[in-house]
Amino acid sequence: MISLASYLVISMILFAIGITVMIARKNIVAILLGIELILNAAALNFVAYSKFVTQNLDGHVFSLFIIVIAAAEAAVGLAIVIRFFQLKETIHIDEATQLRN
Amino acid sequence: MFLNLLFLMSAFLTVGSAVLVLTTKNIMHSCVFLLGSLIGVAGLYATLDADFVAATQIMVYVGGVVILMLFAVMLTGGKDFISKAQNLLGLIPTMGNKWSYSIGILVSLVFVFTNIQLLSRLGTMSTLKNNGSFGSSIREIGHLFVKDHILAFELSSVLLLGALVGAAIIARPHRHQGHDHD
Amino acid sequence: MEYTIGSVAPIFLAPFTAFVINAFVGKKLPRQGDWLSVLAIFISFLFSFRIFMDFVGGSFATDYYIHKVFTWFDLSSGNQNFKVEMGIYIDQMTSIMLLMVTGVATMIHLFSTWYMHDDVRYGKFFVYLSLFTSGMLGLVLSDNLLSLFIFWEIMGFCSYSLIGFYYEKEKAGDASIKAFMTTRVGDVFLLLGMVAIWQVVGNVSFVDIYAAIAEGKFAGQQVLGISLATFTAFCVFMGTIGKSAQFPLQVWLPDAMMGPTPCSALIHAATMVAAGVYLSLRMYPLMVAGDLTHFIALIGAITAFGAATIALVQTDLKAVLAFSTISQLGYMVMGVGVGSYNAAFMHVITHAVFKACLFLSAGSIIHSVHEQEMPKLGGLRKKLPFTFIAMMACTLAIAGVPFFAGFVSKDRILGDALYWGLFSGQSKVWAIVPILGFAGAFLTAFYMFRMMFLIFFGQPRDKHLYDHCHQEHIGFNSNIPLLILTVFTLGFWYAGSLTGQNIVKVFGAKTEWFKILVEAPKVEKFINHPREEFGFVDTRLKTDLPVAVYEHQSGFVGVNPENEHGLHSAHVIGAIASIFIALSGIFLAYLMYVKRSVKPLAESFRGYTTTLQNRYYFDNFYVGRVIQKGLIPFNRFLSWLDSGVYDRYAVDGWASVNRFLFRISKWFDDVIVDSIGVDGTGVAVNLMNLILRIVQSGKIQFYFVVLIVTLAGYVWTFKF
Repeated sequence: MISLASYLVISMILFAIGITVMIARKNIVAILLGIELILNAAALNFVAYSKFVTQNLDGHVFSLFIIVIAAAEAAVGLAIVIRFFQLKETIHIDEATQLRN
Repeated sequence: MFLNLLFLMSAFLTVGSAVLVLTTKNIMHSCVFLLGSLIGVAGLYATLDADFVAATQIMVYVGGVVILMLFAVMLTGGKDFISKAQNLLGLIPTMGNKWSYSIGILVSLVFVFTNIQLLSRLGTMSTLKNNGSFGSSIREIGHLFVKDHILAFELSSVLLLGALVGAAIIARPHRHQGHDHD
Repeated sequence: MEYTIGSVAPIFLAPFTAFVINAFVGKKLPRQGDWLSVLAIFISFLFSFRIFMDFVGGSFATDYYIHKVFTWFDLSSGNQNFKVEMGIYIDQMTSIMLLMVTGVATMIHLFSTWYMHDDVRYGKFFVYLSLFTSGMLGLVLSDNLLSLFIFWEIMGFCSYSLIGFYYEKEKAGDASIKAFMTTRVGDVFLLLGMVAIWQVVGNVSFVDIYAAIAEGKFAGQQVLGISLATFTAFCVFMGTIGKSAQFPLQVWLPDAMMGPTPCSALIHAATMVAAGVYLSLRMYPLMVAGDLTHFIALIGAITAFGAATIALVQTDLKAVLAFSTISQLGYMVMGVGVGSYNAAFMHVITHAVFKACLFLSAGSIIHSVHEQEMPKLGGLRKKLPFTFIAMMACTLAIAGVPFFAGFVSKDRILGDALYWGLFSGQSKVWAIVPILGFAGAFLTAFYMFRMMFLIFFGQPRDKHLYDHCHQEHIGFNSNIPLLILTVFTLGFWYAGSLTGQNIVKVFGAKTEWFKILVEAPKVEKFINHPREEFGFVDTRLKTDLPVAVYEHQSGFVGVNPENEHGLHSAHVIGAIASIFIALSGIFLAYLMYVKRSVKPLAESFRGYTTTLQNRYYFDNFYVGRVIQKGLIPFNRFLSWLDSGVYDRYAVDGWASVNRFLFRISKWFDDVIVDSIGVDGTGVAVNLMNLILRIVQSGKIQFYFVVLIVTLAGYVWTFKF
């Protein structure tokens, strides 16, 4: 019953929901939540392939790197959110237009 | 049997919590549902015999990232904490509107169709041999880290340091208030 | 006999440990930790002295070398070879260099405790001194270009910090940035050269490079239309040009005198600038393989002469010394170019000793008088007797008076240059090199004695300053270092014969140790050399090792050294000419500045003097032309490209396209909906409006949508 396809489908659903969260919600923190979902979907794919296809542990290593990078990204992203909030007193993504001009 | 049960529960937890992340009004609740989703992914790792990755997932995400998110939400709560005036089906959460939602769903549908197009070619591959478990994978992962992937390992440590310093610098309040408003 | 990690590493690690301790807890230590730095460098000195005695004392043959490596990290996987090894390489040259660096640095450390004692950042100065010294020692010990480059950059950083030590002064800050940026130009080339070497050799270790040259790996390869060996040699030599302040990049060194005087002595006279020459000596086989020696000789000659002319008109005491440093470095580089390997290295050592002593004397004068403009000084002979003795000896040495160290080494370079330019049978055009060299030697004698006469002789020109100057007393950290260095400005330490060319023998053959021990690396012996890991113990007994044979060797490795007769006559002519030139320069200075029977030339050649005072307008050229006319317009061009083209056409253009579409749809709305009144169409147009408005918003999330859709589009199009 459990096959590679089932993991891929779950990962795909997770990824799609992540995309939707990133696009649909206007709260910057929520966008970061979406990014986390997407990264998890990717890591899940790595581990699934490593179990069913390559039969070695490289996929695990890569998913660990993804977790590390996600942690770093979350730290920096949240620092930016806090700084942004100090400047604009809101975390609405449409206010983030400083770089436009 | 136990494996199937674990898989089903984890998959349900993952997908269900993710959907709730998408649809909850309160961003705080969103974060907590993300927690559920991540624990579900950890369970999926467990079904894949990836014990170390599962443990790391729980420790780093559940212990670290989501807590960080919650702090960020609380620090930036303000007036945006809970959703503004909503209309469509009472389902529209914080700072989104029907258009952003429809575009988001549209795009993710595009992605899903694309993905199915790709995966359909895997067809015969999907039920591959599942021969036994690795046992505890920690030792082998450790060896991989210091042998094959040493460069990436070192680079990720540099990355973490950089992220740490960068986050500290970005979040630091400026000394000269008044200059930083553009 | 065992050179294990315990007997070599302290040379580098002692100053480095002192640096670490002083940097973190120096302020809490008594006397701000200066004793720690002095002690550390003295420990290095003792270890270096042991190595020196082993090598020079005749324990090893002249071509004996110690090369030990350890693997720093190994990223090789599969057939990719990426293994970085660090190690030490000690031969006769290294041992002499180590002794010189540690000896001179010890004296300078000692002097600094006196010179800097009332400075507010006393402790910080010793932090930098220790780091600098350890960098220099590490560079000398390095067995490969990569670690050499690391230490090279450490020294670059220290020089930046020390030049800008008085960072309250705006000029000091500017000078430090200038020094840093100018040497960077050379460093980039050096890095490029290292990459080229890595491509060919697969390693940057000296012995592997020598072996590759001997095997002819560089031959026949082309890059950018020139031969690879020439390209690589040029890039490496550019490193020398930057670090040793040679002709196109010499502008930083005079400004580097903004730093405290002891650091000028250590960095910009004795050791750091010598590192550049040391690099070209180490890479000498590459320079020969790349056929670059003529270019090197020419650069050296131009520098030697040009800097000497500029020094003629400087009024600042330290500026004169700075330009004389550039000029002397020019002689060393010229020596490398004409194949006078041994003499060039000897000049590195002798110059380091007497120039360090000169700078310390200048420091002593500045500290006593608080003035460094020479026209305001004068008659200080009686007030500062010990400084006078030290400075006089060093001036005699640099001017090339017989029996002094500078004469021995400079005369040998000039003699070899004379042979190379006139007697070796190559094109007579290259006679320009020895001619410029001799002219520079004349000017050197002249301007150095001009400086001496202005400072120490005649009547005090500023009575107030003179009266304020305290009478000098002997002190272990004020004059003693000067006098110790003075002892080593005498020629017989370095060569037994009068000129160093075996022309008038004074002592026995054993005193010609320098000339016999130091020789250009013979690349053939490095083919298939064994690779020794660290901790390796040499089990051979001392008596089993081949021993240096002290008998006559030429030391000249340039073109056609078989022509013994020509070489000999060139050396005789060179020696006589050197003595004559030096004495006449001194005599002219005496007539001008003491007797005053000859008017200084400044009045009659006013335009030329102005040119000299502006240092041939090099600074103006770099700032006015290269930076203002070159780099700043380039920057403007880039910013125009960004704002003018990219923003206007890509970003704003996209917006106007959208606006145009919006207008069309509005028109569609007006005409079709309003006039025809079909509600369904109206809804469609509304939707389109909406989409367009989202497109036009330029929001982050919109980009994400575009990203996903584009990726999906790729997949659908190409069916990956």
